[in-house]
Amino acid sequence: MPKAEIAKKTLLGVVPVDSPFYRFHPATRLMLLVFLSVTPLFVDLPEINLALIAVALFLLRWGKVQLGQIKRYLPLLFTVALFMFTVAYLAPGDRAMLTPFKLLGLTFYLEPIWWAFVSYCRLIAMLFGAILYFSTNRERDLLVALRTIRLPFAASYVLALSLRSAGMFMEDFATIREAQQARGLDLESMSIADKVKLYTMYAVPLFAVALRRADEISNALFARGYTLSARPATGGKRSDYLRKQYRLLARDWVAIAAMGLVFGAVVALRIGWGAFTDDASLLKALFRWGVGV
Amino acid sequence: MTVRWAVEVEDFSWRYQQAREFALRDVHLKIPEGSFTLVVGPNESGKTTLMLAIKGLIPHSLPGTLRGTVRVFGQPVEHTSAPVLAKRVGYVFGDPEAQFTALTVEEEILFGLENIGVPEEEIGERIRWASELTMVADLLDKPPYDISGGQKQRVAIASVLAMRPDILILDEPTSMIDPLGKDQVVQICAELKATGSMTIIVVEHNVEAFAHLADQVVLVYRGQVVRVAPPQEFFEDLAFVAQHEVSPPQVTTLFALLRERGLYNGALPLTDEEGIAAGWQLLAGEGR
Amino acid sequence: MATAPESAAVGVSVWEVEPGERRKPGIVHVVMMALFIGIGIVVGTLGSLAIPIGFVSLFWPGQAVQALGGIWFGAWGVIAGMFFPFISNALSGSAPIPVSAAYLPANFLQGFLAAAGFRWLKADPRLRTWRDWAVWVVIGVLLANFLGAFWGTYVLTWFGLITEAARPTALFGWFIGNSVPSLIFGSILLKYVSPMILRSKTFVKGWLA
Repeated sequence: MPKAEIAKKTLLGVVPVDSPFYRFHPATRLMLLVFLSVTPLFVDLPEINLALIAVALFLLRWGKVQLGQIKRYLPLLFTVALFMFTVAYLAPGDRAMLTPFKLLGLTFYLEPIWWAFVSYCRLIAMLFGAILYFSTNRERDLLVALRTIRLPFAASYVLALSLRSAGMFMEDFATIREAQQARGLDLESMSIADKVKLYTMYAVPLFAVALRRADEISNALFARGYTLSARPATGGKRSDYLRKQYRLLARDWVAIAAMGLVFGAVVALRIGWGAFTDDASLLKALFRWGVGV
Repeated sequence: MTVRWAVEVEDFSWRYQQAREFALRDVHLKIPEGSFTLVVGPNESGKTTLMLAIKGLIPHSLPGTLRGTVRVFGQPVEHTSAPVLAKRVGYVFGDPEAQFTALTVEEEILFGLENIGVPEEEIGERIRWASELTMVADLLDKPPYDISGGQKQRVAIASVLAMRPDILILDEPTSMIDPLGKDQVVQICAELKATGSMTIIVVEHNVEAFAHLADQVVLVYRGQVVRVAPPQEFFEDLAFVAQHEVSPPQVTTLFALLRERGLYNGALPLTDEEGIAAGWQLLAGEGR
Repeated sequence: MATAPESAAVGVSVWEVEPGERRKPGIVHVVMMALFIGIGIVVGTLGSLAIPIGFVSLFWPGQAVQALGGIWFGAWGVIAGMFFPFISNALSGSAPIPVSAAYLPANFLQGFLAAAGFRWLKADPRLRTWRDWAVWVVIGVLLANFLGAFWGTYVLTWFGLITEAARPTALFGWFIGNSVPSLIFGSILLKYVSPMILRSKTFVKGWLA
C-alpha cells in the first residue's frame, strides 16, 4: 500500500501536508516568527530563552514537522557554540577584572564564558523562530501574510519571484553538479582551492541563465498586464484574490493579542523594572557553584 | 456587412537593437474579428516578431527601430498601455516555462486576472472555467515548473485564456510537447474556435494539426508576408508552399501527387479524415 | 605597456549615455533585481553551509554578489544585496532575522561602494586595465569588506556573540574570509559575465537605468 504523503517539498524546504498551524491565518504565523525572533532580544535570562527554544520545539512537533529535517542545523549549532566558547576562552578581555576558574587544567574566566552561554541561548532561541517558520510555511503563506500587512504589491511580487528564482537556480546548481558527478567528478577528494574554483565556475552559467530569464519574465509580465504601479486598465486598485481566500478568525486575533501582550510585558518589564537580566539566573548560580567561584 | 478588423498591420517594419537587418519589412496584414489565422513560415522568417508587434511587446518591451503601425481593434498598439493590451491580446509563448511568474498553477492563472482588475468575486469562476477547459484543474496546487511539458503548455494557455482576451495568440504551442499533449492543445483550439468568441492566431510549423481549423493561412518569409489565403486555396499551389520552406500536410501532398498523375481531381484534403473520405470516393470511382 | 592601447581603445566609458540613447527604469530592472536576490540566496546559503561557522562568515562569497549587483545593476543591485542575506541567513541558519537586520548597513555598503567606485571613477566592469582592477580590488573588495567586517563585528559584539576583546581578531577573520572568496569569485565573474551584462538591457549606467 502506498504511504500517505506527510510532507510536501516547497522552494523553502519541506512542510507538513497537514498541520494544525494551517488553521491559523498566514499573517498570524508571520507574527509568530516576529515574536520568536524579537522577544529574545529583550531577555538575558537563559532560562527564558531555553524555554522559548522548548516552545519552538514543541510547536514543531505539534505542527507535525518531521523533526529529522532539522538535523541539518545540528552541525551549525555545534560549531557556533564551539566558536563562541573558544572566543570567550582565548579573548576574555581585561583579565584583572574577571573571575578565573580552573577546569581540566586550563584557566577560564567566569564572566565571558557565562556571557557566551547567555548569548548562545538567545541566538538559538531566535534561530528556532526562523526554523519553525520555514518548516511550517509555504511561499504562498508568506505572500499572503505580506499582502495582509499591506506590503505594496510590487514588493511582495519581487519577494515571490526571488524565492521562485532561488528554487530554479538551486535546481540548476544540482543539475550541473549531478552531471559532473555522473562523469566521475569526486568532490570528496578535491582540495578546498579546487572546490572554490568549481563553485565559481558553476556561477558563470547561472548568471547567463539569469539574464535570459530576466528578458523572458519581463516580457511575460508585460504580456499579462503587469505594471510597476500595479494599476489595472480599469483604474482603481489591483484585485487581491489571493489575500481574500484567507480570513482572520477569532483564534487569529486571540493568538496575535497574546503574542503582543507577552511581548509588550517583556519589553516593559525589561526596560521599566530591569527584569530578565542574568542576575536572577538559577543556572548562573549553579554554574558558579559547579566551577567553585 | 462590413468586416471588423481585429488586427491591422500597415507598412510595418522592425529592426531589433544591435541587429543589422530588419526582421520585418513593409508588412501589410489584416485579420478579421472572430477568425482563426494560421501563421506559417520557416525559422527566423519573422513570424514571432510579427506576433510580438501585435501583442505590443514591440515596441513597449523590446528596443529597436520601428516604422509603420500595428492597430488592434483600431487602436495603435504603440500608444496602448500594458494592462489594456493584456485585456485585448493574450499571448502564449512557445516556451511555457519562460512565461511562468508564480509559485503554483492557481497563482499563475490568477496573476493576470489580478493585474487587469477582474473583480475578486469573478476570479474563482474564471480560474475554474480556464482550468477545466485546458484540463489542468487537478494541478492547481502544484508548482507550474514541476509538471510535464504538455501540462505546462496547457497551464500557460489557461493563464492567458482566463483573462478572456479578444485576441489569442499561440506561438508554436506544440513545439515542446509530446504527441498526446499536441492533440490536447489542438482540441482546446478547436473548442475555442467553436465558441466563436475570440480571434485566434496560431504560429505553427506543424501545419497538419491546425490547417483544418484555419480560416486563413498567412505565410511569412524573409521578413515579409508573402501570401494570405484560405487553407484550401493556400495549399492548392504546393510548389509555391514548398519553395517557401513550408511542409504541407502529408495527406494533401499525397492527393496532390494523385491529381498530378490524373488519378484524382477533387479538392485537396487537409486532414486525415478528409483524406480518408476522399480515398473512399476514389475507390468508389467518384473522385476522378 | 600592453594595457595602454587597450585602455585607449576602450576610450568611451561604458557608463556614458550615448547621444539619443533613452534610458528609463522598467519592469526588466525589477525582474533582474528579483532574480539577483534569488542568486544571492543560493550563493549566500551554499556559502554559509560550506563552512558552517554560523554568524561569523569565514567563507562568504555573498559579498561578491552584492558588489557585482551594484556594479551591473546600480540601485537595483544594491537593494538586492541588502535583502538577500535575510533569507539566505535564515535558510542556512547562520543568523536570525534581528541579526540580519542589524547587518543591513554593512550589506548596503558592500554593494554601494563597488557601484559608486566604478561609476565615479569610470572603471570598466570587464576589468580591461590595471586601473579597473585597482578600483575593483581596492574599493569593491578591500574597502567594502573592511567596512562590512567593521560593522559586522560591531553587530556581533552588540548581540554579545563575541567578546569586545575578540573583536579585532574577528574583524580580521571576517575581512579575510569575505575578501578572498570575493576577490576570486568576483573577479572571475566580472571578467567573464560583464561582457554579457553590458550588452543586455538590464545593465544600468546610472543608478536606476
